[in-house]
Amino acid sequence: MNITRLATDFAGIKMTTPVMGASGTFGFGVEYSDFLDLDQVGAIISKGLTPLPRAGNEGVRIAETPSGMLNCIGLENPGIDVFLRDILPKVRKEAPNTAFIANFSGSSVEDYGIMAEKLDVDGVDGIEVNISCPNVKEGGIVFGTDPKAAAAVTKEVKAHTKKPVIVKLSPNVTDITVMARAVEEAGADALALINTLTGMVIDINTWKPLLGNVTGGLSGPAVKPIAVRMVYQVAHTVKIPIMGLGGIATAEDAIEFLLAGASTVAVGAENFVHPDAVVRVAEGIDKYLEEHNLSHVSELVGKVKIG
Amino acid sequence: MNETQKLVEIGNIVSNWELSADVNALVLECPEIVSLAEPGQFVMIKNEMGSTYLRRPFGVADVDKDQGLLLLIYRKAGKGTKELAQLEEGAPISVEGPLGRGFSFKNEGRTLLIGGGVGIAPIIYTARHLAKDLEGPKPVILFGVRNHKELFWSDFVENFAEKLVYTTDDGSYGRKGFAIDAIPDILKDYPDISHIKVCGPTVMMKGIAELAIKQGIECEVSLEKRMACGFGVCLGCTFEGKSGKRWKVCGDGPVFDAEEVFG
Repeated sequence: MNITRLATDFAGIKMTTPVMGASGTFGFGVEYSDFLDLDQVGAIISKGLTPLPRAGNEGVRIAETPSGMLNCIGLENPGIDVFLRDILPKVRKEAPNTAFIANFSGSSVEDYGIMAEKLDVDGVDGIEVNISCPNVKEGGIVFGTDPKAAAAVTKEVKAHTKKPVIVKLSPNVTDITVMARAVEEAGADALALINTLTGMVIDINTWKPLLGNVTGGLSGPAVKPIAVRMVYQVAHTVKIPIMGLGGIATAEDAIEFLLAGASTVAVGAENFVHPDAVVRVAEGIDKYLEEHNLSHVSELVGKVKIG
Repeated sequence: MNETQKLVEIGNIVSNWELSADVNALVLECPEIVSLAEPGQFVMIKNEMGSTYLRRPFGVADVDKDQGLLLLIYRKAGKGTKELAQLEEGAPISVEGPLGRGFSFKNEGRTLLIGGGVGIAPIIYTARHLAKDLEGPKPVILFGVRNHKELFWSDFVENFAEKLVYTTDDGSYGRKGFAIDAIPDILKDYPDISHIKVCGPTVMMKGIAELAIKQGIECEVSLEKRMACGFGVCLGCTFEGKSGKRWKVCGDGPVFDAEEVFG
C-alpha cells in the first residue's frame, strides 16, 4: 500500500489510510490482530462505551437478512472506567501506531459531557458520539432524531474535550440533513453516517419476533445505497468532513462513498464475514488511485458527476 | 479471549456426502487450520458462491493432521446448509478458525462423552483424542438421537469407544428416551468414569450437568449460540455465568465448566 496516497487527516485525526473499523464491529481493534496488520488500519473505532457496564439485551441478538444482518446487542460493554483502566492501555501497547476513536453514548446530556471529559486522555485520538443506537430503550434514539437534543449533546461534548468530535447520525429520520446541520452548528468537527436502520424479522412458525428486543439495527450490503444517498445529501449540506459507512464490503463500495462526499469510510458488518476487510478495502482504493493516475485519495471526495 | 492463533483459509471440498436424509458430512482440505485445531473448537465457514451473508459456526467433527483434512457434519436445515449440500468436490469454502476454547483434558480416569442432535459432531474428535492421542482409557460414548435412521455416528467413533450406547426418542433403536436416562446404568457399569463432556441441545446439557454436579463428576458442556463473527467482537453470543461474570460463547467457550453454566 502506498501510504502517501492514502494518509488522511480527518478533522485533526491522523490516519495512515481513510478506512476504519466501525464501532460495534471492530471490538477494540486488537481482536483482529490475527487477521490483519493493525498498522494498516486507518482507525479503530471502539465498541460503544457507556457510563456504567451494560449486559445488553436478552434473547436472540443476531439474525441474517437478505444481504445483511439485524442486531440488537443493546450496547453490551464493560463501561467507561474499565475501558480506561484495562482496555485502552492494552490497545495502545498492541496497536501503538493506529488512530483510536472512542465511541460512546449516555442517557442524558450530562452523561455525554462526563463521558467526553473522561475520554479526553492520551491514547484516544478522537471521540465518536453515538446519538443513534436503535437498540437501547433510554436515550439514544431521542438524541438521534431530535435536532435540538442532538445539538445539545454535541455542545456538551465539545465543552468537555479537546479531542476532535465526530457525531454519528441515525438514518431513522425523515430528513438527515436537518440533523447534520444542527450538529454542525453545535460545533461538531465531523460526522459519521449512517448508523443502522431499524428493522424486524418475524418467525412465521412461532408468530414471534426473531430478535429478543423485537426490533434491531439493519446493516450489511443491503443498506449501502441508502447510506450513499444520505452521504451525498449531507455532503451538500455541511462543510465539516464526513465518515461514510453502511454496507461497505469492497474498495468499490468505499469509492462510491468517497465520490458521494465522504472523506473517510468505515467497514462494519463485513468485518464479521471477512476479518481482513478494512485492510483489503484500503489496498483496493490504493490500486484504484494508481489505475486512475490520482495522487491522493482526497481527489475522489465529492467528485460524483451530476447532470 | 483465547490467545490461540486463528486464520482464514480457503478449503477445497474433498467430499460432501449424505449420512441421512437431512444430515451431511463434509471434508475440506485446509491444512493450516487443521494443524491448529483442538477437540471442541469450531470454525466459521462461508460458501462464497452461496446466497447467505454471514458465516456459520460448525464444530470441528474431526481432523486428519497428516493429510490436512477437516471433517464437518451438518444438518440441512436452512438455506445456507441446503446450498452447501449441493456443492461438489473441488468447490472452495472459506474457513475461519480454529475458534474458541475446546475441551480440557486432565487425563484422569475414564470419560463419558455424550452427544445429542447434530451437536454430536465434536464428540468424534474428542473420542479419538482421548483414545489415540492421549492413549488413555477409551471413553464410553452415549448418543441421544431421534430414531434408528441416525445411527451413522457409529462409523465415526466405534474404534475409539469402550462402549457405545444409543437412546432414541421413539425407541426404534437402543433405549427409548433421552440420553440422560441411560446415565445411571453407565455409571454403575463404569465406576471409573471421572469426567463427562456433553455436546447437544441446551435442555439435554442442563439435565446432564445437574446430574454430574450432584454426583461430583467433573462435567464440561459445549454451548451453541447465534453469532456473527466467531471471535469476540459482535457480542451476539454472550451470557452471564453463575459466577456473575459475562462470557462469550465464541471466545471463552464454546466449552465451559458445567457449574458455571448450569450450577
